[in-house]
Amino acid sequence: MSSPRYLVTKLAAAAVSFAVTLVIGFVLFNLMPADPVRTMTRGRPTSEAELGRLRVQLGLDKPLWERFLDFVNDTLHGRLGYSWQYQQSVASLTMHRLGPTLLLMGTAFAISVALGLWLGVRSGWRAGSLFDRITSATALTLWSVPTFWLGMILLIVFSVGIGPIHGFLPAGGMSDPTLPQTGIEHYADVAKHLVLPALTMVLVVYAQYVTIMRASIIEEIGSPYLLTARAKGLTDAVVRRRHAVPNALLPSVTMIFLHLGGLISGAVAVEAIFSWPGLGELTYEALKIPDLPLLQGTFIVFSASVIIMNLLADLAYRALDPRVRAS
Amino acid sequence: MVTSSSRQSRPRRLQNALAAAGVSAALVAAGPGLAGRAFADGSTAGSGSGAGKTLRVAMDGSGVDTLNPFTAYFNGALDLFGGIYPTLTTIDDAGKSAPYLAKSWKLSDDHLTWTFQIADGLKWSDGQPLTAEDAAWTLNLIMTDDVAGTANGTLVANFESVTAPDATTLVVKTKQPQSNLDYISIPVSGIPIVPKHVWEAHTKDLKDFKNESTPVVGYGPWVLTEFKTGEYAKLDANKTFLLGAPKYDHLIEQIYKETDAAVAALKAGQLDYIEGVNATQFKTLQGASGVQTAQAVGNGWFGLELNAGAKTRTGKPIGTGNPALADPVLRKAIALAVDKKTLVAKVLDGQGQVAEGYLPPAWPQWSWKPADDQLSKFDPAAANKLLDDAGYKAGSDGVRVDPKTSKPLNLRLGIHSDDTQDAAVSNYLVSWFKAIGINATIQPMSMSALNSDLGKGNWDMLMDAWTTGPDPTYLLGIQSCGTLPNDDGSGGNTDSFFCDADYDKLFAQQSTIFDPAERAKVVGQMQEILYQGNSNIMFYNSTHKIAANAKVSGLLTGTKDANGFYPAQSSFWSYLKAAPAAEAAGSSGKDGGSGAGLWIGVIVAVVVVGGGGVLVLRRRSGADDRE
Amino acid sequence: MSGLRRFLKEFRRRPSGVAGVSILAAFVALALLAPLFVGEDQLDVTKVDGPLLAPPSGSYPLGTDQAGRSILALLAYGARESLRIGIIATVLTVVFGSLVGIVAGHFGGWTGRILMHVTDWFIALPSLPLAISLAAVLGQGETSITIAIAVTSWTATARLVRAQTLAVEARPFVERARVLGAGNRQIMVRQVLPNVMPLILVSSTLTVAGSLLSEATLTFLGLGNPTDITWGEMLHEAFANGAFTANAWWYILPPGLTILAVVLGFTLTGRAVEHVLDPRMEKSR
Repeated sequence: MSSPRYLVTKLAAAAVSFAVTLVIGFVLFNLMPADPVRTMTRGRPTSEAELGRLRVQLGLDKPLWERFLDFVNDTLHGRLGYSWQYQQSVASLTMHRLGPTLLLMGTAFAISVALGLWLGVRSGWRAGSLFDRITSATALTLWSVPTFWLGMILLIVFSVGIGPIHGFLPAGGMSDPTLPQTGIEHYADVAKHLVLPALTMVLVVYAQYVTIMRASIIEEIGSPYLLTARAKGLTDAVVRRRHAVPNALLPSVTMIFLHLGGLISGAVAVEAIFSWPGLGELTYEALKIPDLPLLQGTFIVFSASVIIMNLLADLAYRALDPRVRAS
Repeated sequence: MVTSSSRQSRPRRLQNALAAAGVSAALVAAGPGLAGRAFADGSTAGSGSGAGKTLRVAMDGSGVDTLNPFTAYFNGALDLFGGIYPTLTTIDDAGKSAPYLAKSWKLSDDHLTWTFQIADGLKWSDGQPLTAEDAAWTLNLIMTDDVAGTANGTLVANFESVTAPDATTLVVKTKQPQSNLDYISIPVSGIPIVPKHVWEAHTKDLKDFKNESTPVVGYGPWVLTEFKTGEYAKLDANKTFLLGAPKYDHLIEQIYKETDAAVAALKAGQLDYIEGVNATQFKTLQGASGVQTAQAVGNGWFGLELNAGAKTRTGKPIGTGNPALADPVLRKAIALAVDKKTLVAKVLDGQGQVAEGYLPPAWPQWSWKPADDQLSKFDPAAANKLLDDAGYKAGSDGVRVDPKTSKPLNLRLGIHSDDTQDAAVSNYLVSWFKAIGINATIQPMSMSALNSDLGKGNWDMLMDAWTTGPDPTYLLGIQSCGTLPNDDGSGGNTDSFFCDADYDKLFAQQSTIFDPAERAKVVGQMQEILYQGNSNIMFYNSTHKIAANAKVSGLLTGTKDANGFYPAQSSFWSYLKAAPAAEAAGSSGKDGGSGAGLWIGVIVAVVVVGGGGVLVLRRRSGADDRE
Repeated sequence: MSGLRRFLKEFRRRPSGVAGVSILAAFVALALLAPLFVGEDQLDVTKVDGPLLAPPSGSYPLGTDQAGRSILALLAYGARESLRIGIIATVLTVVFGSLVGIVAGHFGGWTGRILMHVTDWFIALPSLPLAISLAAVLGQGETSITIAIAVTSWTATARLVRAQTLAVEARPFVERARVLGAGNRQIMVRQVLPNVMPLILVSSTLTVAGSLLSEATLTFLGLGNPTDITWGEMLHEAFANGAFTANAWWYILPPGLTILAVVLGFTLTGRAVEHVLDPRMEKSR
């Protein structure tokens, strides 16, 4: 398949995927008749006429098919529906929250991938060694920990302080409002707020990357070309670095991108615990009423990001690996 | 698989590369660390907006839905409006209306025309004059524009006209006499007055106007200078505020999604004030050093609603409620089966009062208590006797049978799944109801699912809770027949399908009584009817729990009652009256600062090392291709 | 039979697998025996009289919760509920995933392609937001959580089973059966299923692990029934009621640690079985 055609095919597939996500999203969130109006106005003096007006404003009086058309139209215009509780378009809400989520997930992703790959190469190369066993055991144990629970424990230990440890990290949020919101001090402050949430995510997520990389390395060890390389008299380290790692890296990287969904899942719980003002926290907020259009919006944004990342992974894989290009 | 030959020399090149990356990381780490400290020194020395003392409070957990006061519902937003927009009147320590924008007000003899004398010479935060015209314009907009009436339309529903004959006079004419008019524009829960000259341009796009450009033009104890969605709001003190200048120079309202995180921040000195902690947190904080705690009497009730036969406005039965509950004897037995004292002791850990009357103790002017002979005391034996006498015979499984339908008494108990009190209390109820032969099944529901079932009458028992401001009209109104739904199930905002002709007559009457004592008497009679109806069984009034840094004073007003509870506190007065302790120089909560540099170093190091590792690996793979 | 014996022998030589099975056996025993030593009265808030949120003591080895109930009793009882939800969700997942996988693998062509496309779409959906949404839409409680878990995790099984089905169908004995006149259903049930079964079992142990974590997370986010007693619900209650502020470690640590132990138990077992069945498979998770 030629490159442009491959690109077009992949793009089309991604577009279809996205369209399906939209339909699934809509069906999911409009399956149940819901009337949020009484909940929205709870505790406020509201007359019946106002409730009715609000229902019309939210489009709750329309039949399902009309709401679907509205929704598609809305999405194509980049509005993603209208939040029940925030009384503004879901798109503008998610826009605000995208940055913090990308920062948190990006940091956690970069660190855990780097850590996971490095440990994976080491333990895969010497599978069965003490190092391998310790690495694998640690990774498996951490993988088995509920993310939110780990987050809460870290929060208690490093933010509140327990026993001899004094809390020294912020308990939540993304920046300290008493500090200026620009310049290097601000970045340092954000970094400080980032430590605990990012650490929580890294600890839970990196294990996946260890196992993925470890498995590919082990796969490579058995292959004939490594024997040839060794036969040429190259040292073990050179064989690993020049031959095993590069070959094992490609499939691992693709797998890693495919596992991005897991990272997003972690973000919801972590952001909720650390009051991190991102999409995950917005999702958590939306759960309370529940604010279905907002849930639908965050769901679509999350899905879209997974689709985009997978597309990029596909393209990157093809660009990087000559064998795939040839076939 | 793993040959011994693989355990050879270490990969020097990779290691060197990582070592190099590590060194650069250390250098980078030193950078911001040092710079951070230098900056911090600069800011405490006092320059720019950072100067002066800052009060850091946790924003109401609901957060801010929108900064547009015409459409906002969330308490976080309402608290902010209380600080940055003026209102006609305010609430004093005794829960009564008191002057704010209006210096004084008087009512015409026909009880239809209110004339407010507006304070002279006030200026909005942008320097424009604040006059009666702003108030008239705001109220008129709410009366005439559907969008502007989103949040507060009901409060002006009875208004005939609002005019400002001159800069210091505001005249409100009502259609019917309305006794609570001096309560409709109070801080936090009432109508905020906005500057006409700013908002005039936005009447067309009011629905989408987010009002987020700071500083927000307003008038109040504070000026909103910075707002970050989902993070915080920063405010500066208005040193010339009419009711006295705030003692702090700045106010920061920070959002903590979980109260535990806010409490952690309070303990760590990163926060000065939290309202609304729960019983466990309060108990822990009572013993914490550097923290002061207080309880204010509750402004809400927590209780159980029984579906005594849901009907539409025309009297047509609707919904799937169990018909057995239409029997007042059964409802009375249910009321007798609940041990309210145990609930206060165990669920609230003693931080609240047993409730009988419908209106909460925060507003003593409306308080009503049943006479001793009417009181439903916890008495399962009496409840069982009532049911025995009424012919509810116990089946073989211990569940009583409804004599009218011959069906066992299986009742649904709907609870708010997001409310921990609902969950805790419902566990007790199931057990207590079992003791009188009623089988209750707990149904946790989301707020909107529960409210939607409620409106349709598809329920037997629901846990419910309400809070109210000093004017009880709305809370009383949701128990009147006028709030029942139409025949097609639409409309209405009834709270329990309660409908009683005498109650409705008194409800209409109380709104036209202008003597507070007289009105209180009528309101008391209404509460008596509710109490005897047993459709709304009040369990308790939880206290409002406050925790603050010990260095903050002046947060509490009034004197403690016999239980040690303070009068109801509002965020408006709390933030206005809060004062920093005299010698406690500088702001609290910089404890974390020293460790920051180190930690930033660690992060940066990890990131750089990680990134370096990936780069090295990448480069290698590229090199391999070329070989 | 000898195959089974060989399997057991091989399995016993994997200490991590044995450890995993032992952990699981201990918890299953706990779950089954819980009613013997935890009476209804110990869980009934109106009948217990323990101190509220008290640290461990003689009569309450793991302390009490906010209502004065023994944490140990709750933990034992919670094992029943948590494992039940995890296992039901897994059964749903595995049955549905295997069905899709076998059908897609067997039929190939349009049917197979469409099924695989659907699977791919579901893989692209981020699981937790999807589960959250499902649980929010379906309403509170364990039923909707179970369904949400199943809906979000069947895809992995389906892909795995499809690949294995393709491999099995390429073998001569399937071809022979086809020549002898076996129908589609017969081939799928008689030939493919027995050969795919070991893989399905492996995949289900790993699915249980994932299900338990998902259950805990969804419950923590407030989508469970707050009056149920599961480990996730215990953590939710602890968190919602301020046990963290109170530093009530006896309330916070045990449910988390038991979740960890059981998830680890399933994971270790699954991996060991996987390796024994296919020694070359040092990979995949």
